[in-house]
Amino acid sequence: MRSTFHAIETAKRSLFTQQAALQTTGHNVANANTVGYTRQVVNMTASKPMEAIGMSSSTTPGQLGTGVEFSSITRIRENFLDSQFRNENKTHGSWSIQADTLQKLETIVNEPSDTGLRAVLDNFWKSWHDLSENPEDITARKLVRETAKAVTDAFNQTARQLEELSADITENIGVKANQINTSLETISSLNLQIRKIEGLGDNANDLRDQRDLLMDELSKVINVTSVETNDGEYQVMMGGTVLVDNGEFTPVTVESLQASFAGGDLSGGEVHGMIISRDQYVANYQQQLNTLVNGLANGDITVTIPAGAVLPDGITLDNITYSGTARTLTSPLTVTVKGLNGLHQLGYTMMDPPQAGGTFFASNDGGPLTAGNMSLNANILADAGYIASSMRTTGTPEAVVKGNKDLAMLISQFSEMKIDFSSVAVGAATAQGSVNDFFRSIVGQLGVEAEEANRQTTNAKIVVDQVDSRRQSVSGVSLDEEMSNMVKFQHAYNAAARFMTTIDETLDRIINGMGTVGR
Amino acid sequence: MLGRVTQGTITNQLLRNINRNMSQMQGLQEQLSTGMKINRPSDDPVGITYSLRYRSDLSLNERYQENVNSAASWLDFNDTLLSQVGDVVKRVKELAIQGSNDTNPNVALDNIAAEIKQLKEQLVEIGNSQFKGKYVFNGQFTDEKPYDSLANAAGKITDDLGIEYMISSGISIKVNLTGNEVFGFPPTGVTAPQNEDDNLFNVLDQIISNLESGNTSAVSDQLPLLDSRMDKILTQRAELGARVNRVELMEQRLQDLNLNLTTLQSKTEDAEIEDVLIKAKVNETIYQASLSVGAKVIQPSLVDFLR
Repeated sequence: MRSTFHAIETAKRSLFTQQAALQTTGHNVANANTVGYTRQVVNMTASKPMEAIGMSSSTTPGQLGTGVEFSSITRIRENFLDSQFRNENKTHGSWSIQADTLQKLETIVNEPSDTGLRAVLDNFWKSWHDLSENPEDITARKLVRETAKAVTDAFNQTARQLEELSADITENIGVKANQINTSLETISSLNLQIRKIEGLGDNANDLRDQRDLLMDELSKVINVTSVETNDGEYQVMMGGTVLVDNGEFTPVTVESLQASFAGGDLSGGEVHGMIISRDQYVANYQQQLNTLVNGLANGDITVTIPAGAVLPDGITLDNITYSGTARTLTSPLTVTVKGLNGLHQLGYTMMDPPQAGGTFFASNDGGPLTAGNMSLNANILADAGYIASSMRTTGTPEAVVKGNKDLAMLISQFSEMKIDFSSVAVGAATAQGSVNDFFRSIVGQLGVEAEEANRQTTNAKIVVDQVDSRRQSVSGVSLDEEMSNMVKFQHAYNAAARFMTTIDETLDRIINGMGTVGR
Repeated sequence: MLGRVTQGTITNQLLRNINRNMSQMQGLQEQLSTGMKINRPSDDPVGITYSLRYRSDLSLNERYQENVNSAASWLDFNDTLLSQVGDVVKRVKELAIQGSNDTNPNVALDNIAAEIKQLKEQLVEIGNSQFKGKYVFNGQFTDEKPYDSLANAAGKITDDLGIEYMISSGISIKVNLTGNEVFGFPPTGVTAPQNEDDNLFNVLDQIISNLESGNTSAVSDQLPLLDSRMDKILTQRAELGARVNRVELMEQRLQDLNLNLTTLQSKTEDAEIEDVLIKAKVNETIYQASLSVGAKVIQPSLVDFLR
């Protein structure tokens, strides 16, 4: 049997529920532009009807409804899209860093240009042509020395820029490690709050939004996955490494990230891209430059010394030592020498008595020759007369034939000589080729890598954007929708109010209008 | 594509597309402003290797052209010297023929001898000619006077190695003549790699001493030697001419190569301006359209239409 005031209760429930829905609509509209916000809905259900089954139930037809109530307020979100987004985001993060580094490398290489390494090398070879035109001249020698200095300067500068780039990346990994730790800490504290709130049966919608946003941000930096536990906590993993679990987080360091990269747990994200950039692209480029420098200075080349040349006393070529009359070549001699340094030692400087040329390029710190420490022989730096151009001596006591320019001519052809880079390769064996070939191949390789990284970045960006659009399409706030809802809820509210008035009038009739006959 | 479209989706998509249009514009603008379609290796990794090759080849080619010019001036200079030598020899021959005539009084013979002496000095001077500060007839001893002694000019052995110029990659050309090739090797009796009795200085010395001693028949004996030397000089000139031809051919080839390389470089590196301009114009239109559409799309929502 129903109560007199039953309908008032029904109207009240309706008013409250519609107001809650309106309130939530307002919340949605307010957060339409909040990053990471998920639209929320009030889930309404018809409340439990009157008169459960029982022995004493009345015979009135039923069941009579008791109005509305809201069972929960929930987020509209698809977990699958989240994991997809994070998966693509890590790829994008990694490639975008790689593309960025390769773009920096391209700037360092500075080709095509009239001022890059290629142009500097070309000028160097050309200066040897000048010397071959005026082999007696100190002026032409100074020109050779200056262009050679430009070559070593260019290599030094490039090497320095590469080192700086490498150091910058390492520093950035440190910055990223801090960022990761901050995110992890916040996620673990959000975990605790969410567990407390949801333990009471509510949905911690806005806290969850914050946590998901942090996960999104984190997924750009490293590859992360999350598993939700029964009490609503996220267990955050990077590959097989657990980062957040049970209210605790494990901080990362530059070293631990490096170790995870080596172990395969770190497989995406900006940090992954940074380590690849530094240890593959930059390191590889440094190594190639060092090979180039060593090939230029010391790589095996085959030269033909023209007849009439007088070899320096006691020089050993292809295991034959030349001294006495054997030094004067009666026919052209083809031998293998060690790069420009070896070639330069075949000739004579301008010094008197005759003095064989020394090494041309040397390291300025005594260590193995690299692009970074490459310098000219100290003697040549001090006096350009130590540059050899002649390959002939005459008379007793011996004097250098300054008009002979065989060496200058040989060196002027050096740019086209095939160098056996495998004889000096730093790291993997490298094929034969001229200095120019080798440099071209380095630039070509860089171009291919940069092109690939750019393409991958664009692709990954498109995929990320697509997934994000899908996510937005599910979770984003549509103002049109919210406005329609608002109208809908407002009308429902108004109707409920009108209903209340109606009941009020009904009761008024009963209470004040009845039993007053004849009054 | 999407089931549910929100303001956020629209705005994001709009931003993304405007950005893409912008970056395309930037790429085209870069091509327009630099005039090059390869501005960094990744623009065309294959093209860049060609581009670098053409640039190096061009730069070397220019250098070879300079070498060719230098070689040509050496050869020209040598040719001038040889023609001077020829003139002197001609005059010597006239005088010698005159002197071989029995009817000349002694005074006349002395005068002839005196003039030939002057001519010999002239020849020695020619033999010591310098080009850009280098002695041209002394092989690689360019800093040593070949005929330092007037009296012993006939016995002089000059350096026999050549001065070469690289006129193309791996191709060199000899630009000098040695004194011995022009004036002859020392006559019989002097230790030398080769003996030639028609050594010009020797012939002149003989003519002078015979004229001075009045031995006119001995003077006429020298005439055939003078002729054979003249022939040799002419042969040298002919060979010099052949070398000049070769250098000129090479110059032509280098110029052709220069043109070819420039064309290739341009094809590889240069942007096709008309093409890029049109693309840029189209892109600009699209960009502006996206902006104006954006302005319309962002604004309205149901809010604007509810009272």
